[in-house]
Amino acid sequence: MKLPMIASVIAMRWFSVVALRLPLINSPVMLVIAVSLVVGLLMVLVFRAVSDQKAIRAAKDQLKAHLLAVRLFQDQLPVVMQSYGRILRGTARYIRLAFKPLLLVILPITLLIVQLDRYLGWMPLQHAQPFLVRVRAVSPDALNEVSLELPREMALSAPAVHLPADSEVVWRVVAEINGTYNINVAAAGETFSKQVVVSQDLARISPTRRRDRFWERLFTSGEPALPTNGPIQSIEVAYPPRNIDLVIFESNWIIVFFVLSILAGFVFKSILGIEI
Amino acid sequence: MPGSGNVDVTSAELDNVKGSMHLKKAVWIITVLLIWAATVPLVSCRRVGGQWHGDEKLIILGIDGMDPQLLTRFMQEGMMPNFSALAQKGSFRLLTTSIPPQSPVAWSNLITGMNAGGHGIFDFIHRDPRTFKIYFSTSRVEAPKHAIRLGSWVFPLGRGSAEQLREGKAFWEILDDHGIPNVIFRIPANFPPVPSKGQTLSGMGTPDLRGTYGTFSFYTDEPTVMAGPVEGGQVIPVEVEGSKVTAQLIGPDNSFRKASPPATVPFTVSIDPFEPVAKVKVQDQEFVLREGEWSGWVRAEFQLMPLVGNVKGICRFYLKEAHPRFQLYVSPINIDPSNPALPVSTPESYSRQLSNEVGEFYTQGIAEDTKALSDGVLNDKEYLAQARAVLAEHRHIFDSEFPKFRKGVFFFYFSSLDLNSHMFWRLIDSHHPGWDATLASEYGSALPEFYQEMDQVLGEVLAKLDEHTTLLVLSDHGFAPYYRSFNLNTWLLNNGYITLKSGADPDQSKPLANVDWNRTRAYGLGLNGLYVNLRDRERDGIVQRGAEVEALLKEIKGKLLAVRDPQNGMAVITRVDRADEVYQGPYSDQGPDLLVGYNRGYRAGWKTILGAFPADVLEDNTNPWSGDHCMDYTLVPGVLLSNRKIEAESPALIDIAPTMFAEFGIAKPKGMMGQSVFHPERPNY
Repeated sequence: MKLPMIASVIAMRWFSVVALRLPLINSPVMLVIAVSLVVGLLMVLVFRAVSDQKAIRAAKDQLKAHLLAVRLFQDQLPVVMQSYGRILRGTARYIRLAFKPLLLVILPITLLIVQLDRYLGWMPLQHAQPFLVRVRAVSPDALNEVSLELPREMALSAPAVHLPADSEVVWRVVAEINGTYNINVAAAGETFSKQVVVSQDLARISPTRRRDRFWERLFTSGEPALPTNGPIQSIEVAYPPRNIDLVIFESNWIIVFFVLSILAGFVFKSILGIEI
Repeated sequence: MPGSGNVDVTSAELDNVKGSMHLKKAVWIITVLLIWAATVPLVSCRRVGGQWHGDEKLIILGIDGMDPQLLTRFMQEGMMPNFSALAQKGSFRLLTTSIPPQSPVAWSNLITGMNAGGHGIFDFIHRDPRTFKIYFSTSRVEAPKHAIRLGSWVFPLGRGSAEQLREGKAFWEILDDHGIPNVIFRIPANFPPVPSKGQTLSGMGTPDLRGTYGTFSFYTDEPTVMAGPVEGGQVIPVEVEGSKVTAQLIGPDNSFRKASPPATVPFTVSIDPFEPVAKVKVQDQEFVLREGEWSGWVRAEFQLMPLVGNVKGICRFYLKEAHPRFQLYVSPINIDPSNPALPVSTPESYSRQLSNEVGEFYTQGIAEDTKALSDGVLNDKEYLAQARAVLAEHRHIFDSEFPKFRKGVFFFYFSSLDLNSHMFWRLIDSHHPGWDATLASEYGSALPEFYQEMDQVLGEVLAKLDEHTTLLVLSDHGFAPYYRSFNLNTWLLNNGYITLKSGADPDQSKPLANVDWNRTRAYGLGLNGLYVNLRDRERDGIVQRGAEVEALLKEIKGKLLAVRDPQNGMAVITRVDRADEVYQGPYSDQGPDLLVGYNRGYRAGWKTILGAFPADVLEDNTNPWSGDHCMDYTLVPGVLLSNRKIEAESPALIDIAPTMFAEFGIAKPKGMMGQSVFHPERPNY
């Protein structure tokens, strides 16, 4: 199960090294549009490759025929009822035929979304803009031992706020110049690092580092797990969430991606004559 | 061969056809070129036959409350090099202000080229003579008129409305009619902004999200502080439990709920047990504040009805004290410019575009929270920080938008001198009852520094002037000290013009409460207004038009001019104008009947403005609101500076719109009263 995950990570690494250097791709809007078009195309191609096109076409034709029967014989109740029954059966058959290819398409797309969200879900921090670092300890007692070590390019702009009720401590930090840094949280004689990205460009962002299991971290963290028996549960950097600006409205990139990729899929399906 | 169905074409014929096609193509191309050649100048210079050739520019810096005396003093002290240079190379004149000299009236004069009789704005507040209901004079925000009620929910039928009450056409509407591009920033008395082809942002008169001119919230666990509404806000008691405070941001009234309770947004403040610092969480936003620190803009989304109605606002937090007492100030909830609940710009998308470019900004018309200083919620230092942040925001917007200006008219309004002259006069004037030598040594330089910032802005403009650009720098009025309050309604009561119901005491809680209207001949409302209780106008009017009203006005005017301050023997009122003598236009009879012009140092008391009856007629003003201009209009003129020679001897606010039109070759519209300050001899401009 880890194979698609590894593949998508490799793809994203390539993407961050090569593709992001292209000026158009470095624009979040253009990136969402480009990815949506490519995914729309890939979706229909994969669907064609793994689905029984003949059977799907037949199932759809039969559904159309039954729908036609309902309209043509609307004054004959037994025929209409029979047609409705066949429509239900035909729909179930169609769903069964489409389910497997859809499953094969959805899994890599989900992994792709998780990876893309690292780039498009949050904005990197801006220099001179304060941001919060939050550390959650295993117990309120551990809070007194927790301290934050910053690289030279960063500084605290307020004293730490200790929140014993939540087993949390929060720092407000400011970065002076752009860069990718590691901040260190020291607790109980151990040190735990967390990546912080300060940049004007699109960049891969991991808002939290935590010690949960792989599947829990998959959707929230892009960094190695914290030790399970350590004093720290999570280290979080509050990156500002990103919205895609489409002139007339702003939206989360995933909504834009879903709409555009589905539209692209329908266009490519018609061009390539693929039955969905 | 006709009729055969076949067509034989020889090569010569083909050449002919081709030649004809080439000819047609050539004719077509030439025609297009000719049309293009004719259209380009028409488009780029809409008045080819007129005087505007498309490259003239007019820049107006509207600096509310810039006082000619202070300006001259600061120029002489070398603090205002750019103003000195402009005055030396161009012109510097006093600018006659409006009657009365209040900002909404004054800016409406400038906007329409008419006085209050033409635009219908007579004061900050106005009254309905039938109900005596008091309302803001420049705009009205109303909930939908009809609704269906189901349990505790109310389903409105139709939309609410925001209505601008200023009458008359704004100068930029006329510029629009003539195709002249214009950008108008924060001009007062333009909420909701009138439809415009240009980019406009509403200014003074724009309410906060609660529909007021600005209501702050102050959260505290200090037991000695009285909870409840104060003059400009609300004190909300809270408890600190386990280093945590849970409270609500108070938003607009929720007209979807029965009795329209205010919509709220919960927030929490987690205080560090030892350090003076706290973390604030509002919806999905978290930030850390040190004691004595302001937050940036924080968004709050008020849910009026699930899935149907949400309203977005923005506010700023100030942690006044974390330990041992908790004190947190939250600014009035401003309309979010990136998602405005009410229109604040034209086009409507402009405020969003602006917030994308410069970040969120105050949309509330009067952004400086003077009430919080007056109420003692903010001290001088805290208020000054907030006022400086407002100016910094305005300068940021100016720095972003001014470089984009290419042609037409660019108007930019600054509020800082006005509000800070109101609040800091007591720190530059040792005669003021509120003078405090210690505070003056700490913050006495604040007002001169605000003037210097205006000089820096002017410097930016002067650096970009070219031979096609006319610059006007103007203020709507000047300033004067406000030492003593004159309680007009108490004076009217003491002199028998107002009679209270038998046995009733003066009620301070409601405007003109306990007044026996059947035995009352005149009353005061607003900063300079005195109304006669007219039989065919007021609900219970008793004074007949004609001889009776004439005699009454003459009598009151004479007595007011004779009032002397027992403390120093000075005249309290130096001028009383009759509305029918100073106003022209269709709305002349809708305002006050007399305009009371106070001497320098005097002004109507705060309570009398709203129709209350304080005990004393005259009292010292120890409120931080220590400078003012709502006086005799001849004592508080504004300033007018230009890079060109101003020919008019006594330019006035109503001359600015005609000046603008003259610059672009537009004839003065009917009803407009002023004249060009550059060409006063040409009355059609």
